[in-house]
Amino acid sequence: METTFIGEHLIPGQIGHFFAVLSLVASLVAMTAYYNATRATETATQLSWQRMARWSFVIQALSVFAVFSALFYILYHHLFEYKYVWRNSSRNMLTAYLFSSFWSDQEGSFLLWSFWQSILGLVLMRTAKTWERPVMTVMSFAQFCLATMLIGIYFFGYKVGSNPFALLRQTEENQAAPIFQLKNYLDFVKDGNGLNPLLQNYWMVIHPPVLFLGFASTIVPFAFAFAGLWTRRFSEWIKPVLPWALFSAMVLGTGIMMGAAWAYESLSFGGYWAWDPVENASLVPWITLVAGIHTLLAYKSSGQSLKITFFFFFITFVLILYSTFLTRSGILGDTSVHAFTDLGMTQQLLWFMLAFLVPAFGLMIYHRKAIPTVHKEESTYSREFWMFVASLVLLMAAIQITFTTSIPVWNKILNGTGLMKLFHMKDIAPPIEPVFHYNKIQIWIAIVIGCFTAVIQYLKYKETPKGYAWRKIWLPTALSVVFTVLIATLEHINYSVYGTGFLIAIYTMLYASVYAVVANINYIIGILKGNFKAAGASVAHIGFGLILLGILLSSAKKEVISIDNMKILDGYFAKESKENSRENLMLPLNMPMQMGNYHATYVGDSIVEGDFKTYYRVRYEKTDEQGNVTERFTLYPDAFINRKGAASLVANPSSKHYLTKDIFTYLTSLPDPDAYKDTAQYVAHDIKPGDSIFFSQGYMVLRAIQPHPETKNYKPKDGEMAVSAKLDVYSSNNQEQYKLEPVYFIRDSAYQYNVDDTLSAMSLYVKFDKIMPTSNNEAKVQIQVKDSGGTQRNYIVMKAMIFPYINVLWMGVLIMITGFFMSIVQRVKQNRRVEKTTNTRKHKPVQV
Amino acid sequence: MKKTNIILLVVVAISIAVIVTMVGDFSTYETFATASSSAGKDYKVISVVDTTRAMEYNALKDANLFSFYAKDKSGQIRKVVFSGTKPTDFEKAESVVLTGKIVGNEFHCREIQMKCPSKYKKDQVAIGKTI
Repeated sequence: METTFIGEHLIPGQIGHFFAVLSLVASLVAMTAYYNATRATETATQLSWQRMARWSFVIQALSVFAVFSALFYILYHHLFEYKYVWRNSSRNMLTAYLFSSFWSDQEGSFLLWSFWQSILGLVLMRTAKTWERPVMTVMSFAQFCLATMLIGIYFFGYKVGSNPFALLRQTEENQAAPIFQLKNYLDFVKDGNGLNPLLQNYWMVIHPPVLFLGFASTIVPFAFAFAGLWTRRFSEWIKPVLPWALFSAMVLGTGIMMGAAWAYESLSFGGYWAWDPVENASLVPWITLVAGIHTLLAYKSSGQSLKITFFFFFITFVLILYSTFLTRSGILGDTSVHAFTDLGMTQQLLWFMLAFLVPAFGLMIYHRKAIPTVHKEESTYSREFWMFVASLVLLMAAIQITFTTSIPVWNKILNGTGLMKLFHMKDIAPPIEPVFHYNKIQIWIAIVIGCFTAVIQYLKYKETPKGYAWRKIWLPTALSVVFTVLIATLEHINYSVYGTGFLIAIYTMLYASVYAVVANINYIIGILKGNFKAAGASVAHIGFGLILLGILLSSAKKEVISIDNMKILDGYFAKESKENSRENLMLPLNMPMQMGNYHATYVGDSIVEGDFKTYYRVRYEKTDEQGNVTERFTLYPDAFINRKGAASLVANPSSKHYLTKDIFTYLTSLPDPDAYKDTAQYVAHDIKPGDSIFFSQGYMVLRAIQPHPETKNYKPKDGEMAVSAKLDVYSSNNQEQYKLEPVYFIRDSAYQYNVDDTLSAMSLYVKFDKIMPTSNNEAKVQIQVKDSGGTQRNYIVMKAMIFPYINVLWMGVLIMITGFFMSIVQRVKQNRRVEKTTNTRKHKPVQV
Repeated sequence: MKKTNIILLVVVAISIAVIVTMVGDFSTYETFATASSSAGKDYKVISVVDTTRAMEYNALKDANLFSFYAKDKSGQIRKVVFSGTKPTDFEKAESVVLTGKIVGNEFHCREIQMKCPSKYKKDQVAIGKTI
């Protein structure tokens, strides 16, 4: 017999799942119809297939929107009967963070991806013209693949996808649980599991949509390249694809850098980039995409490098799928700080990747003879030749990053094929110093690319006249040398931890990045004569140069200032040993500690209504030689303190931003409230209003006795008579003033209760114990005070570092995005103009 | 031979050279025993935290000293000294990857990578609480 459960809302889930299945079917129909429309030879057949294809794609897109809305609906209404809602949200979350819940889990992020891809598909349907049919065939297929991720239906005993609308009671691990045999089980599931506090952050609301738009948009260049091969229009696809490729690079780049900004602003990773596998996996496709854009431009003007352009656009999307595979299959478990676990979709993700990799490269090999190539050798003094070389250098960067990131994959392959046993190998582990491992290789690539960015555009396509390039470029080259020397000496760049060789590399990269910026500015002024409409590429290059410069300056000059000098003489963690020096500093309450040029004082914590974080106030003071305070500011690093389980700390940093540097502060440890046996005793004080009580760090005054109180700890109820003592607390250490309000109440005229109040900054506990009977009608109360010794128990442990010139990096990112945007506008306009002229040309014969 | 082909060959050669030098950077997962046989070199050790012995972190004494006992894959237990604060949710980690070296009898560690239990297990625990 079917049990009916009380209080469940099954309709939104059924609607959601229905549309998930519908989108799967519709995308399949759209794909088939577009395929037939492409293959058909007669116009009438083509058009009828196309009509059907369009309808099914629109239905598919609307279904995806419906699924999207249904998932948001159940999250918004806190329907905890759904596992997704229960697992990723809770009632006390701010509404905006429900979006974070939405895409924090696998199903939601695939849905987001599918959502963007639908929108891109609808745009392409309207704008792609003759390319619509083949391109949309690929798009529909991609939609079909994504839709399979969301259905969660068993085919021949094999689970395909995961349904976001699965009910909590139906999931495998819960089916046997006794609670789910109860009809009214929902009465016990009052609240959800909640979202990881790290994800309850505005960056988590905006970063995934942008990143996933970036992911989704890489299908467009792939689809155009595929369509070009398939319909044997090997070179016509170049023009329509260019703005799309630029768009994709712009959005993906923005998404990646938003992730970096999130890591920097809100996570305590201690920086914006850590060469973490998850970061790498999204950076690599961006690199290949950018390489593809450049070979495409080379082809457009010279006829060279067409094959490699196909390769780059294909590999970009395949790498996006590979990154999804890496992050979602749980294979990275041992190597990434992002703790991913196997969600049981490893195989499906692998098939997804192969479904795009095999046909694309298969078709490319099949048509390799037909793809037009120029047989005449290109000149060494040509732009296209060096663009081709540069794209190969980018490819090398991509290969190196992928190779190291894929270590767990190599282990799997070597184990799976038995090779590891054969050669008696052990599992390979990532490098001991991953950041230096990547940096020492990538710095050379950055140097080469920086110089190429500066020089190549001074060459002309096909053949540069002798002396032309040199005449134009000697000035920026010389200026860059001057700037580099200035920066290196003024900023004292002498990062010698990894020896002289690496320092030389740093100086060279400094030159390369300055050169990229200066040469491109010069290009806009000297060659484009300030014509900003055509300057998109140069602006993007300036941004890129600034990014390199910002990375270099901030990493080479990064300095931890919270060094704990205790024990440093032991040589226990000596600098040569490369072990991290003692970077955590304990700040007892109200005790200034030297930190770099600053004195930092922890002056207490505070809580804001409606916010679940505790903010710790750290006051920084800088003094001159006479001891006068020249600068004073307060930072508020905060932390979620999980009071449910073991004392765990989720900290967010706080930074003081200057134009030229950031002072970055975050908590690394807090006192464990259970770790100390509290030996202090309550001491009773009988006082009347106006009296004071002294304790070790100050005194408090009883301001008044308040009838009918309502405090943060006490809310009045019927049948209770309550009074509270309003106490003002004055600290002798600083100018701070606090308020305490312990409550005393009688319930049902017989039972006495009290609600105490605490001042954690001073470890002070105050209890309103009783009201004293007095002869002269004067109110006197007994207040019990426990003074647990103050500073000894109240402290924070934190890390602080200086990031110089981090703003150069952020500015570079913004400028690069602007440059991309300018290029997109310029290319779209150009395409429209070309279209118009070809149209008028077509009409001319009719007039004649 | 076309210039493009020469360039391609050069790129392939450099890539191979880079990858070969890179492989030298890669480490292997060791046990405490194999790590101590060549002391002074850094290794990665996959181990499980021994929860029966006390973990020690006292910021008042030393904010940069956290010590605990860990059991490696061969079952050997060693004291581990980490120069930093105690990582968040350390108790919950299923296993930890320690990067560091053997000094005397202790394993001096400069990086701890925790592998946390899967979400699904966490679900079960939490439901157990609801009942």
